[in-house]
Amino acid sequence: MQDQFVSAYLETIRRRVCSPEGGFAGQEGGGYRADATAWAAVALEAAGQRLDWLTAARARLKAQQLADGRVILTPQHPDAVWLTPLAVLAWHRARDYRDATDKAARFMLATTGRHWPRTPDLPYEHDPSLKGWPWITATHSWVEPTALAVLALRISGRGEHERVKEGVRLLLDRQLPGGGWNYGNTKVFGRELFPFPESTGAALNALKGAAEPARVRKSLDYLHSRLREVRTPVALSWGLMGLAAWGEGPAEAGAWIKECLANQERYGPYDTASLSLLLVASRAPRGLESVFAIGGKS
Amino acid sequence: MNHQESPTRQGWTRREFIGVTLAGTAVGLAGYWGWRRFLPEGLPRPFNREKPAETFITKAPRYEMDLLSLILQGLQELKVTPAEIRGKSILLKPNLVETRPGAIHITTHPLVVRAAVEAFLHLGAIRVLVAEGVGHRRDSLLVLEESGLAEVLCEDRIPFVDLNYDTVFTVANAHGATHLATLTLPETLKQVDWIVSLAKMKTHHWAGVTLSMKNLFGVMPGSYYGWPKNILHHAGIEGSIVDINAAVKPQLAIVDGIIGMEGDGPIMGTPKAAGLLVMGRSLPAVDATCARIMAINPRRIPYLNLAAGRLGPIREANIRQLGESIVAVRSPFALIETIPAHQGIRLEL
Repeated sequence: MQDQFVSAYLETIRRRVCSPEGGFAGQEGGGYRADATAWAAVALEAAGQRLDWLTAARARLKAQQLADGRVILTPQHPDAVWLTPLAVLAWHRARDYRDATDKAARFMLATTGRHWPRTPDLPYEHDPSLKGWPWITATHSWVEPTALAVLALRISGRGEHERVKEGVRLLLDRQLPGGGWNYGNTKVFGRELFPFPESTGAALNALKGAAEPARVRKSLDYLHSRLREVRTPVALSWGLMGLAAWGEGPAEAGAWIKECLANQERYGPYDTASLSLLLVASRAPRGLESVFAIGGKS
Repeated sequence: MNHQESPTRQGWTRREFIGVTLAGTAVGLAGYWGWRRFLPEGLPRPFNREKPAETFITKAPRYEMDLLSLILQGLQELKVTPAEIRGKSILLKPNLVETRPGAIHITTHPLVVRAAVEAFLHLGAIRVLVAEGVGHRRDSLLVLEESGLAEVLCEDRIPFVDLNYDTVFTVANAHGATHLATLTLPETLKQVDWIVSLAKMKTHHWAGVTLSMKNLFGVMPGSYYGWPKNILHHAGIEGSIVDINAAVKPQLAIVDGIIGMEGDGPIMGTPKAAGLLVMGRSLPAVDATCARIMAINPRRIPYLNLAAGRLGPIREANIRQLGESIVAVRSPFALIETIPAHQGIRLEL
């Protein structure tokens, strides 16, 4: 299945290459999408497909890096910084991007969301003083950008930095009492909110090796149960990587990915980011970080 | 030292100053009380700025019924004619903020979406698409599946656009109810002729209610506003609702109140079978009507107060009700007294 998937993936994204600038569109005939380009770069590397597309995709992301290290979606929107950790993942195994990675890491270490002291009168239960990372500068820190920043900083050798440790504390603080994570609220006006598989998977990847298994047991159980019904690419990919990161990847993972791919008959071709994420999940036996441990530097 | 007052002195003694201040305060409080008691909806026309509008209310006790006929009747009553729709592209914006399998009270019901699509095609629309930028979740396809909408879209071959990842354009925030200098909007909005807010009737723990105007938060792309759309929260929810509506200029609203949500909305509340649809060309008027049906005073909803007069009417006297009357369908939605946005908004009947 793996080889078939890789072949089909390459055939699909071949038609989504942006020429001559490099990078990928979300769909055939569509415009360039930076997040899709970053995930495609990770997927190509994970599948051992060191093609010209990969080189061009990394270069396109580099062209979107500002002097302070942030990687942005468009020049008109310098505050949308959530692409920065994805670019670090995309560049990670390429020697030519060490400087770009260092700049991006410095930016992430110097950037936080908006934070304020925890007081008894707040309507939400999480600790807003913990510093993580936002999607957009000058907004609050949320689960997925914090998880991605923790992962990016850790694979680039900064796992012991205090900001990473605080990011881990934030993720544990935002874990729902019943297990799992959502976008980043736990209880509001006393009511516990519901978890999402995609957020849960991202948080579990970031917490790999940074938390005791007992602290995330309920979240792993939630994913084991929930993924039996999920066959959409983003939630399934993150969910499978979340379980794999903790050595609990389900035996049915390959079959579920196959079913998810087959759903394209119904929904049409998945966008490049979703399809790439699915390929990454199929190549991540111990979670997202494990795809960066296979093979040598390119 | 002579302490005798001069007959020609200027200025007040301390005692006079305190007396006048207290009297002024008393007059002010009495005036405020009188205003609230006798003019709860503000000055009548022609002394207010509101331009009248029409709202259509129809009973719809369940989803498995002929909703298409009800929506067509509403469009006819609102004088939305085939001549007006023929050849136009229509974007339907449902509320898909977040889903939970089986929780039909969170999102706009797929059968309401289907009926709206069919109604516009019936009137001659050249293209009808459904578009949303899901507020809390990154896997939009899973949200479509869990809401039941994926099945309807696939069966009827209705295109869906994920606005969270659309290409964008930026406009000046001309209305300026918030400090936001610009608004970044999806290109898809420029490619359609009509934008229809296909909202859900719910209480909301930050805004009091979420109806057709708040529903347009969902057009703002998550790539540029985050998940949740936190820029708008920091800028102020009420002002953001008004700024977005002023920029997007939707042509119509259809609110799904067949099963709405009461209590701790927009996610954690409980189902409320109000059994109706509310429609109109003026979104403030539709929301004010929905609020009255929910036994909520629209004047106490900050975003409606901001919108009143500038984007549409909210005074009952300025909204002509078509179809059912508010009294005939009124169905009080439960509020939670410990939630600040719910305090003091109950309509006095």
